[in-house]
Amino acid sequence: MSLELLLIIAFGGALLIYLLGKISHKARDSFAVFISLVLVVMVAYFYGKTIEKTFYFGFFGLPLVLRLNMLSWFFAIAISSLGALCTIFSLSYMKGREGPDFYYLMMLLVNAAMLGIVLAGDLVSFYIFWEIMSWSTFLLISYNRGPALAAGMKYIIMSIVGSLAMLIGILSLYTTYGTLSISAISAAIAPASSGYILFILIVFSIAFGIKNAIMPLHTWLPDSYAEAPSPFTAVLSGMLTRMGIYGFLLIMYVIVGAVSALNLGTGILKFNYILVWLGAITIVIPTFIAMLQNDAKQLLAWHGIGQGGYMILGIAFGTSLGVVGGIFHTLNHAIYIVLLFMSVGAVQYRTGGERDLNSLGGLIKKMPIAFIGGLLGISGLIGMPLTNGFVSKWLIYKTLIVEGYPFLAFAALIGTWGTILSVYKFLHNMFLGQLPEKYKDIQKSPFSMQLPMIVLSLAILLFGILPGIPLKVINAIVTSFGFESLNVSLWGIASETGTLNTINIFSALLIAAIFVWLLFRSTAKSIPIAQDDNYAAGAYIPKDKYHYTVEFYNPLYRMIKPFLRDLIDEFYYRIASYIQTLSDSIRCVYTGDVGYYVMYVILFLAFLIFVQLKWKPW
Amino acid sequence: MVTKVMQIILSPILALVVGVFFLGLARKITARIHWRYGPPVIQPVIDMIRLFYQKSVSHGFMFDLGIILSLAGSIVVVLFLPFGQICPLSSSGGLLVILYTMLIAPLGLALSGGQAANPNISIGISRKLILSLGYEVPLLFVLLTVMTHYKTISIVQVVNAQQSTGWSLISCPLCLSGLSYFLILPAILGVRPFDVSSAPQEISSGPMVEYGGKYLALATIEHAFALFIGIALFVNLFLGGAANIVSFFVKMLVVFVLGLFINAVFPRFRIEQAVKYLWKWPTLLAFLGLIITLAIRN
Repeated sequence: MSLELLLIIAFGGALLIYLLGKISHKARDSFAVFISLVLVVMVAYFYGKTIEKTFYFGFFGLPLVLRLNMLSWFFAIAISSLGALCTIFSLSYMKGREGPDFYYLMMLLVNAAMLGIVLAGDLVSFYIFWEIMSWSTFLLISYNRGPALAAGMKYIIMSIVGSLAMLIGILSLYTTYGTLSISAISAAIAPASSGYILFILIVFSIAFGIKNAIMPLHTWLPDSYAEAPSPFTAVLSGMLTRMGIYGFLLIMYVIVGAVSALNLGTGILKFNYILVWLGAITIVIPTFIAMLQNDAKQLLAWHGIGQGGYMILGIAFGTSLGVVGGIFHTLNHAIYIVLLFMSVGAVQYRTGGERDLNSLGGLIKKMPIAFIGGLLGISGLIGMPLTNGFVSKWLIYKTLIVEGYPFLAFAALIGTWGTILSVYKFLHNMFLGQLPEKYKDIQKSPFSMQLPMIVLSLAILLFGILPGIPLKVINAIVTSFGFESLNVSLWGIASETGTLNTINIFSALLIAAIFVWLLFRSTAKSIPIAQDDNYAAGAYIPKDKYHYTVEFYNPLYRMIKPFLRDLIDEFYYRIASYIQTLSDSIRCVYTGDVGYYVMYVILFLAFLIFVQLKWKPW
Repeated sequence: MVTKVMQIILSPILALVVGVFFLGLARKITARIHWRYGPPVIQPVIDMIRLFYQKSVSHGFMFDLGIILSLAGSIVVVLFLPFGQICPLSSSGGLLVILYTMLIAPLGLALSGGQAANPNISIGISRKLILSLGYEVPLLFVLLTVMTHYKTISIVQVVNAQQSTGWSLISCPLCLSGLSYFLILPAILGVRPFDVSSAPQEISSGPMVEYGGKYLALATIEHAFALFIGIALFVNLFLGGAANIVSFFVKMLVVFVLGLFINAVFPRFRIEQAVKYLWKWPTLLAFLGLIITLAIRN
């Protein structure tokens, strides 16, 4: 088996599914699942291998290079497994919607392009795969039409700006070194001046910063996440946005190298130091904006931005704990955010597309699996002990505290408390509280939706209780960047300034819970009652009239709302409107009428004749 | 190994006894400040035993699971706190684990109450979460100051360092943090003047309104544990822990009674007033402490 076969299957499968959809819907669905599972198995087969292969039929005489190492394997396995789960989830979600052939084509194309990005060994193929990914994402974001078109437009404009910045960097590297192979450049770049390295890092950071939605480049994300079809939002939030993290790892630690990337600049004006602060800002502000949202998907989207800040914070901080934490958080975030979007998707599927938190409620008894998915998802997002999010956040906090950066640690920690407030509202308003009359007869989610949610819920607990499984791979990645290796066991991290042992925490909680449960069971039994049979201190509560959690955090809103306007988005819109005004005024001149153009030509000629007659320059 | 198992079993029981004793004592002392006679100190124990035999209602799966998880979470936190020389799980995690495990209890109660669909519960939970965001800001500054000062995230090392250098509360920059922690302690414990979330006269005890019988008993036990955890953390971080259990409990008692004298005479805050207060003086003190600590360290 070889790497090119993997990519051929990925891309070929996507096209084949489109054609198959014209013949039979059943065959298309099962083939889509089959292809995505085959990709998982194939990627898993490459575990631990290091391959670099050159093909000399490339673009403009440039060779095409494919390469595989621990870093690309780690991202590839995450992409392919989450892609497979999202494809399975799509089966019922897409039933009865228009254009499913096109949807599956694009979904698998995005997957294939992401695999291409992480397996690319030269910057041209990296760029081509990057563009395929951006454009198919654009088509999928605007799949639902209406407001989705505007969201897709915002995405693609920002994406093009990023791609152009990256293209400048690639061209500059090519003219300087005469090659675009990643390994050749990384070998040759060491003696370059720090000014040139800074330039390369900045242009690539613009591209990857837009993709990863770092403040102030985040504005495309909330609308795109909210408007895309839910299974695709899961892919978009889980891995696609995190291609930016892969890009940062590639440019900082593979191409430029840790030693030069972390010593660029002086004092507090270091490149990575500025990136770290941007990461910290990206954690705090979006997390608090998320509290103000009433739309389930917008709320998660803002958390998607905020959690991206943790990854950047860890990776750019540049200690081995930090980089391990950042990479691990990328995986963990992918798992729980995909689960959360699936949970929202399942609710949407059963309630006819409802995602307004103020009109849902009480679905726990109707959709128990979606509730458990949501509960474990928010626990991971908060970073509760025994979920995967805790371990990666612990690594990041620890390195920030021990290295003496308490203010950065404060930004990271307070983000957690902002998260608790908003995700409690998220879970409560969908699954707890009153069940509205109109959702009385709702069915539980179909099996093809439950299966991916169960798998991901188990993954959250598995990586939270035995974090050593992924940490072993990540440790190998970080060691290949030249950082020192961590002392990782299957259930935790040992060090002199504080250890973590998740299996002990797990056993303690399990035994305590069993003990309390026995106490609970052995005492007087409780009587189950209906939801509206409750105590209101003598006041009368009308049925199905009020929603008790609308404007849930109103006292806090009044205090913090003035500080949380999205000024950056407003700034971009203002620039856009200036450009529009400018273009309109140009349009007064460029009317498109031939008569005007003839007049311009005559006026210009008259001007030239006047100049000649007056000053005789020619 | 045997002593370890003994410690794991004994420490939650000790914590429970102390916590329940504090509950009873609080009622007695508050009553005396109000010129009332007050119930006997063992009244909470009598109530709990009675409640376990009484009828109760359940609103469903999460209503039961939430309260069980919340109490189990509190028990786990106790296992991570050193008291005296006992600390059964000290080698499995430090302050960060304590900080995050402390979340399980309130979140469990909130999820449990959430399923009951009662307007009073919604108001109570909303207030509780806002209040916790309020005290978390100064609390995080305080904990970060301590961790930065001692260059460790292990609470046992913080305690051990104080055995040789003296209490943190009387050392220079950390006294500010200690004072700040003492000011926010009633908010952490959810007692007057910060009992906004369980205000009995306004919202019929908020998140507890649907609890009866064993649910109320378990919630009271949870409250006793929370009382213990909040004060024990203060004693460990700022009063140097203790060489043995007795002196540890004496320190806890002094902190608790001192706090009670101040708090018993204050009326209840409104939630906005509470957050404004928490984000003003305690935050300022804690912030100042952190800056000075950082300046000394560099």
